[in-house]
Amino acid sequence: MFIRGIGRTKFGVLSNSLPVLAYEAMINALNDSTVGIIDIDAIFISNFLGGPVNGQLHLNSVIASLIPEVNIPILRIETACASSSVALNQALHCINNFENIMIIGVEKMTGPGLIPITDAIAMAGDYEADYKNGLVFPAAYALIAQQYMRKYGIDHSLLEEIAYLNHCNSRMNPLAHFYYKEVTREMIRSSPIVAEPLNLFDCSPVSDGAAAVIVSNKKESDRDIEILSSRIATDTISITQRRDLTSFKSTIVASSKAYNEANIGPGDIDILEVHDCFTISELIALEDLGMCGPGKAIELIENGEISINGSIPVNTDGGLKANGHPIGATGLAQIYEVITQLRSEAGKRQVENPEFGMTQNIGGIGGTCGITIFGV
Amino acid sequence: MGLQFLVSDMNYYCKKCNKYWNYPVCNCIFCGSELIEVKSSEYRVVGSTTVYIPSKSNEKVPYFVYLLEDENGEKIIRKSHKDYKLGTKVDFKSENKTLRSVGVVGTGLMGSQIAEYLLRYGNNVIIKTRDDSRGERVFSKIKTKISKSFTEEETARSLNNLLITTKYSDLSSCDIIIEASAEEIGVKLEIFKELSDNCDGKTIFATNTSSISIDELSKVSKNPENCIGMHFFNPIERMDLIEVIIGRETSEETKRKIIEFSKDLDKNPIIVNNSPGFIVNRLLLPQINEAILLLEEGVASKEDIDSAVKLGLNHPMGPFQLADFIGLDICLSILEVLSKELSDERIKPANMLYLMVNDGKLGYKSKEGFYKY
Repeated sequence: MFIRGIGRTKFGVLSNSLPVLAYEAMINALNDSTVGIIDIDAIFISNFLGGPVNGQLHLNSVIASLIPEVNIPILRIETACASSSVALNQALHCINNFENIMIIGVEKMTGPGLIPITDAIAMAGDYEADYKNGLVFPAAYALIAQQYMRKYGIDHSLLEEIAYLNHCNSRMNPLAHFYYKEVTREMIRSSPIVAEPLNLFDCSPVSDGAAAVIVSNKKESDRDIEILSSRIATDTISITQRRDLTSFKSTIVASSKAYNEANIGPGDIDILEVHDCFTISELIALEDLGMCGPGKAIELIENGEISINGSIPVNTDGGLKANGHPIGATGLAQIYEVITQLRSEAGKRQVENPEFGMTQNIGGIGGTCGITIFGV
Repeated sequence: MGLQFLVSDMNYYCKKCNKYWNYPVCNCIFCGSELIEVKSSEYRVVGSTTVYIPSKSNEKVPYFVYLLEDENGEKIIRKSHKDYKLGTKVDFKSENKTLRSVGVVGTGLMGSQIAEYLLRYGNNVIIKTRDDSRGERVFSKIKTKISKSFTEEETARSLNNLLITTKYSDLSSCDIIIEASAEEIGVKLEIFKELSDNCDGKTIFATNTSSISIDELSKVSKNPENCIGMHFFNPIERMDLIEVIIGRETSEETKRKIIEFSKDLDKNPIIVNNSPGFIVNRLLLPQINEAILLLEEGVASKEDIDSAVKLGLNHPMGPFQLADFIGLDICLSILEVLSKELSDERIKPANMLYLMVNDGKLGYKSKEGFYKY
């Protein structure tokens, strides 16, 4: 299975509507590949908030109106913030029935919405037991951060460093939400508190954007990159049902299956994209993916191992923190970055000769995890 | 009167592939060619239905939904409250033209809101103001508000329909002129006199007064049959009522036209014969006055009186909050009118109200009334 084309829009506060964003990513993916739209015989569309925020469901039919009179099967996938890696996973399960499948992720989060964005995002958590008791998303990750910080005796400055590294990387990615913004450690430190201990710079932004990839069973160009494994795993919707709050079981399960299938281990990964919706989740991801032992992520960061020139470069596009987090497109944006790196087309932020790349895409508070491994 | 539409109806067409998109996209996904913007001006009604069930964005039922088709066979959906037969041609270019020419005298809170609201409904609006600097202020205020909900193109089109002037003679060709000046009889009489001198016998003069007699105002007009009251409520965008006030001389024709005009603005007109305070203020102001008396007598705190009215009568605001919002000087002047005009001494403005107005505590607009802002 191969990725035959990738495309995305800029991420940020954009004026385009949801369908127009999707269309732009579709055209960019087609232009990047050797296939045309008539060669695509099925589409998976990933989106999280179309219903509650944009008042638009039945998105597969919205995509159909972007390709009039084509009438191919199109299906929408929703697994909160993990929607697009899961959409890819589902496409790969179907790949033997089709020549080329396009996967599109899109989210329109800014501008007037049917319901406020904080409440809409909270739909990725447990509604009855948690949200009604005030557990909005930043609050859930704040509880996790607090548990982690207590358990391993770290303070907030480590989280600030993660935000700083991601913002530095985004300054080399013209498509990133915060490409334009120079961020200092002082700005991060003094930003307003959102949910103790998390401040504004611990949180990924509310972004608009779209990304698309084309997958096929056949490799027809040197730029086509092989998918070695795509695995998903799930966990309880509420964190109250979990034994350990400093680790996500779904990441551990999905990644160990993916490593097995790809027949590689954590040490083989040369470029890694993790789901840093909040800074704390980047720390947890590094440990759950086996890049280091529990509580040891601090060493990777302090030793510069996750920077572009380090032993395991992470979130070279700026991550969710600074590249942006248009929820339904996020997983595909991570894949866009890893493919760009594996093709050695990343320009200023290019990692040296990467051979294996991996993406970790989380839904909710670890309720879903999609892991994808690529190799050249 | 035609279908009102405020939505851009541009289509995007690929000549090579003969395909259309409803979305503003640049290139054809099939062949890569640049798409052509197509805008139809003429549509034919090819389908229609009358809808009887209300929904969140369509509360007023019944309404009509039309399937319209242009000369290329491209279809659009439009909603209207007007009845059209199948096959009717709707020329959007002429529909686009202003529905009515409406003058607005006064640029205060109500005058500027009325002008903005009329522009949103596609009317040609002429605002008469006292000096140019007021005119500039009201223009930028209207522009800012309209551009928040309209596209650039729609905003430009609306502002094209707006003229701001300092001369009464510019109002001469208006179908309707709404007077929304200060609530003082002297000021209003002078305006009505000027309007009568500058307009011919066809123009309707509607006053947005909340308490002054239409019959008094119409005396200075050459055509008292054209004088009527059209009482809007603040904030206009959210308040669906218009009190249509009928004077002794008001003609059936004038009444009919103003009811039709109000409905075209998606408002609910109610008819009331000229009398002190009409309906709403005659009911409201005594209640506010009684609330102040309760406070004076030490029966309850203002917060608790407001809570009682909100929670017990299900009003969105309590009497003190509402009085502050209306302006205490305006409350007092309406109460004085009620007190003077209603023969028995049913209403006597509370002392506290006089004291507060004398102290310059006028409510929200002066940053202090019953509450501080």
